[in-house]
Amino acid sequence: MRIKLMSIMVDDQDKAIRFYTEVLGFKKKHDIPVGEYRWITVTSPEGPDDLELVLEPNANPAGRMFQEAMFSQGIPLAAFEVGDIASEFARLTAKGVAFTRQPAQAGPVSLAVFADTCGNLIQLYQPA
Amino acid sequence: MLLRHEGFRRLCQARDLLRELREPSPSIADLAREVQISPFHFIRQFEAVFGVTPHQFRIQTRLDAAKRLLAMGQHSVTDVCMEVGFSSLGSFSALFTRRVGEAPSAYRRRVRAMVPVPGILPADLTPGCLSLMGRLSPSALANSVRSFREA
Repeated sequence: MRIKLMSIMVDDQDKAIRFYTEVLGFKKKHDIPVGEYRWITVTSPEGPDDLELVLEPNANPAGRMFQEAMFSQGIPLAAFEVGDIASEFARLTAKGVAFTRQPAQAGPVSLAVFADTCGNLIQLYQPA
Repeated sequence: MLLRHEGFRRLCQARDLLRELREPSPSIADLAREVQISPFHFIRQFEAVFGVTPHQFRIQTRLDAAKRLLAMGQHSVTDVCMEVGFSSLGSFSALFTRRVGEAPSAYRRRVRAMVPVPGILPADLTPGCLSLMGRLSPSALANSVRSFREA
């Protein structure tokens, strides 16, 4: 048993692939039409190459209710590790990304939180 | 941009208000006033957080609601148009066609064929939990399978 796929719900797949590649800098791995939607996955150029994040359409009203409630409560639905959180904060802010929490030390890590423009908050963390 | 707690809370409140399909619908300036952000900052901050302007967000909400109602198959296109807050059938049809890629009547006809039980949407229209994967062609994941075997 291997962890190869994780998904994040997005409210618009076109918007999502733009944000996750052009803004965050991930690489598109799959983009395959499936009925009304698409099977889209991205990987990180910093690896591992075979761990894919699925940008999943959030068309299910129950999913949307969950996503919007978590968002309103300020709770991130994914966390990405970075090597230098201050420079990522500067890079993403320059690209217009809205942060709800600027980089700050929290126990053994530095944390920051931003909105992914697709209905999610994402946490960045830098291990000490 | 960095949003403070209160500012972020107000934007979420605005999102919830835009999700309501109440009539008459408040203008964007009314909404900005309701959440106590200047109209300029409201539009700019909303777009940075949600990826679309408040106006676009409301239109998308209405079109999503229209798609659900059309798929249920129990309402006419005119009823659906009124129900989701458009006052003109012409502008509703034009907007729907532009965003969805087919006219409301064509969408209704095509999608209703996918609905086995009237009133219940099929999983194809509300996918989740990675279920789309089961409908990929056998060759679609060839790359992943190869890398798995090499590993």
